[in-house]
Amino acid sequence: MTTIQERRPGVINEAYYEEPATKPPPLLAVGPLAWVRENLFGSLMDTCLTIAGTLLVIGVIWSFLAWAISWANWFSVTLNLRLFMIGRVEQFMDLRALVLALFICFILGVNLAALARVSRRVWGALTITLALLYLLPALINATVPLPPTYLAAGQIEIVSGSVTEVPVPTLGFIAHSGETITIQVAHGIADSDAALEKLNSFTDRATNAIRNAAENRLETEARIAELNTLLAGDTLTVRQREAASSELASLEVPPPVNEALAVNQTPVDVRILDANFEPLASATLTTDTEPLTIAVPRDGWYILEKSVEGNDSSVDILAINGVYPILERNFLRSDPTDTNAGPQRVYQYCRATDIFMVEGGRPRIDGEDIPAIGIIDHQYKNARPFSDYLILMLAPLLNQIQLPVALFVALTAIGYSGARWVDRQFSPASKPRSTSRRAATWLWIVLPVVAFILIAGIMPNGPLQFSDSQLWGGLLLTMLLTAVGIVGAFPIGIALALGRRSSLPVVSTFSTLYIEVVRGVPLVTVLFMSMLLVPFVIPSLGGPDTAPYRAMVAVTLFSAAYLAENVRGGLQSLPPGQEEAAKALGLAGWQITLYITLPQALRAVIPALVGQFISLYKDTSLVAIVGLIDLTGVTKNVAAQTEFQSLLRETYVFISVIYFIFSYVMSVVSRRIEASGSGAARRV
Amino acid sequence: MNAQKIEEKPKTEIAGDEPIIICRSVNKWFGEFHVLRDVSVEVAPKEVVVVIGPSGSGKSTFIRCINRLEEHQEGQIIVDGMELSHDVRNIAAVRREIGMVFQQFNLFPHLTVLQNITLAPTKVRRRSRDDADTKAMQLLERVGIPEQANKYPGQLSGGQQQRVAIARALAMEPKIMLFDEPTSALDPEMIKEVLDVMKELAHSGMTMIVVTHEMGFAREVADRVLFFDQGRIVEQGTPDYFFESAQHPRTKLFLSQIL
Ligand SMILES: Nc1ncnc2c1ncn2[C@@H]1O[C@H](COP(=O)(O)OP(=O)(O)OP(=O)(O)O)[C@@H](O)[C@H]1O
Ligand SMILES: [Mg+2]
Repeated sequence: MTTIQERRPGVINEAYYEEPATKPPPLLAVGPLAWVRENLFGSLMDTCLTIAGTLLVIGVIWSFLAWAISWANWFSVTLNLRLFMIGRVEQFMDLRALVLALFICFILGVNLAALARVSRRVWGALTITLALLYLLPALINATVPLPPTYLAAGQIEIVSGSVTEVPVPTLGFIAHSGETITIQVAHGIADSDAALEKLNSFTDRATNAIRNAAENRLETEARIAELNTLLAGDTLTVRQREAASSELASLEVPPPVNEALAVNQTPVDVRILDANFEPLASATLTTDTEPLTIAVPRDGWYILEKSVEGNDSSVDILAINGVYPILERNFLRSDPTDTNAGPQRVYQYCRATDIFMVEGGRPRIDGEDIPAIGIIDHQYKNARPFSDYLILMLAPLLNQIQLPVALFVALTAIGYSGARWVDRQFSPASKPRSTSRRAATWLWIVLPVVAFILIAGIMPNGPLQFSDSQLWGGLLLTMLLTAVGIVGAFPIGIALALGRRSSLPVVSTFSTLYIEVVRGVPLVTVLFMSMLLVPFVIPSLGGPDTAPYRAMVAVTLFSAAYLAENVRGGLQSLPPGQEEAAKALGLAGWQITLYITLPQALRAVIPALVGQFISLYKDTSLVAIVGLIDLTGVTKNVAAQTEFQSLLRETYVFISVIYFIFSYVMSVVSRRIEASGSGAARRV
Repeated sequence: MNAQKIEEKPKTEIAGDEPIIICRSVNKWFGEFHVLRDVSVEVAPKEVVVVIGPSGSGKSTFIRCINRLEEHQEGQIIVDGMELSHDVRNIAAVRREIGMVFQQFNLFPHLTVLQNITLAPTKVRRRSRDDADTKAMQLLERVGIPEQANKYPGQLSGGQQQRVAIARALAMEPKIMLFDEPTSALDPEMIKEVLDVMKELAHSGMTMIVVTHEMGFAREVADRVLFFDQGRIVEQGTPDYFFESAQHPRTKLFLSQIL
């Protein structure tokens, strides 16, 4: 409502001098509700997309979780964690790899202090995570019972389909000192075939065959019933009817398995012996007797003997607590006290349920290793209950990672608070972080040396003895290739970038040619060429033990070309005035590059470089093709183990998680660097 | 810095002293384009020369030739007794003696103000860090912004940045200062603070060649005004002569357009 008077020149609207009254915006215009309404349900189309998308996401996550909890065999991960982390390296590398990882954590802590601040919230969250890492498995172990192992006893042949199994009379197992072994005749499961079929836990082969036989019989019964109803109805064509009746004629229901095998009908003799075959306990058990319990005196191997006395036509199924599947590993180790002897093959036995480990000592009978239950015998036919997932899959994984993770966090915290303390003591007030920054720089410079000493070794024996580079693998190899690729590519890439801009025609032509040729060739090709060609150029890089080094050469040369292009982009993005101003000050050409253009160019391309490093990190997985066993290569190795025949899903999920964690950390760091304004135009 | 405090600069007596800059028939081409045509000028020590002229007339190119940011193709340029040629050592020596201030400041954004100023003295003149720091603080004092020493250029206003750029050039203790439109990228309220610094500098006896459109500055400070048009020096003279009784029609046209 503008009046004529208000529009006259020279008249001030008094309203402008009054403090404008503020009033809150309507509730529907702000807040999460409004956001949801505007962004998710803005139109009919949006609404449909939102609902469809949500359903899709929920569906995918749900079916993944269902698989991961009920079906996936995570033993392939929990029992191969070492392989995934450091590969098949000698045992002394365990400690050295751990020390290296801790050193890196320490450096990261110092860097955190030098470049950022970690809020109390983050420390709190870390503490809670750590506490959970310790509490959760403890809680699971305390509340969720381990399922019993079912073992068959008897001298009868058990036939299931084409498989014939006879229960083994003697069985080896490993146990903790003080652990209680409880043996009883399994209750309830022998009552019917339906009960037998539900038998789902660790079993030996014979029990598994019984279970399968029961399942087959029930399936046949069900099929006959189905065919009968079909034939009774009138939905079938003549031809279908013929097929159905001939199938029906061929089907024959065997007698119930529990009756045919007289399961749990006869008393069973059980004995527990120690590794020297000295008996520790024995009992004759029936379904009604008290279970046989014994606390084993020490860590190591024990023997279980079971037989159904004088009866060749019946079988007993024992439910046993304390006897669990064992995974056998072996590796070479040289004796630290006897340096003349070559490395010896050491056998290590690992209990699947809790990664309890025993070295050697496996008893032998008749010149053969005593049989033991392998994971391969543990075959869940039905979905695994959640409690079994917790106690068998989750707890062992958390138990294995809790100590390393706690150490990593601790070292990061020590580095962080140590650097802050040093800053408070020694840094001038005008540059409060100068000491920690200098320390961080020095640590990064020292790191490659320390890493080399720890990984490759520097002496023929002792704690820092040479390691066999052929055995490097897993995450260690992946990280090694990435780090060497980054560090090595830096000087070469910068030199190439400067070379390409050089006014000397020979230098610029060579640089351009190199960059274009390498960028025009896939990494796999470069890897193969380096594997096959480098030995010709540098004969000392010919042997199989130098394969990791050749891969490093390939990765370095490859990423140098890309780095060069990124740096050149950065150099080109600088305004020409920078170089002119430097020239006008009398700086020499190399000084201009060193102090003015290069630092700015590098800052400007940090995001691009981090992107390149992330893709390099992932691209190192290609070395699996040339025979190196990096993180990706390990999955193939695991799938080749008898216990985990062609299990790939679990291991791929696992390595994806590892790849993701590191890539994500790298990109978070790069975003922080960008945000902190260390880019070309610096604002602190 | 207060303008009133700066006394009127006594006009430099050109004759007598050996000229510090000598240009003899300097010619330069960009490809086919003839930017500088037979430019001949001599500048005496402590003289303040203001270069004016229409856009594209070659003013920037001319002063950039003096410290060899551009190469001239014909003629001679002799600075402080050294002839500019392809001899790299001469170029380096000449650049040590000449400071330059650019329209776009061209501060190094990744270095603090202090580092911007001390870089060249420590790396080129090999001064110790402490000496360089002390000197830099004195210069910052002189241009009126000592409190900004530890900031980055991106945190300063345009006028402050240009004053840092002047301090940076002065840190090399040059005998000659070149200014290429030092105030053209500045908001009006910042122009004065930069011009004040330049006036003080002229007053202290620095040899200066200034390309500028600030006619007030030319009138007040210049010993001589050069008028450039199409790569030639069309007319030159004292500010009084130049602004009151210029003869050439190009000069008159130009002056009539800007005054
Ligand atoms: N690097 C170059 N290559 C080609 N032509 C150029 C180059 N630098 C300048 N020129 C041309 O030379 C001529 C003179 O340029 P110069 O920058 O010296 O003019 P100026 O007098 O400083 O003008 P202004 O007042 O706009 O700054 C202009 O026509 C310009 O287009
Ligand atoms: Mg210009």
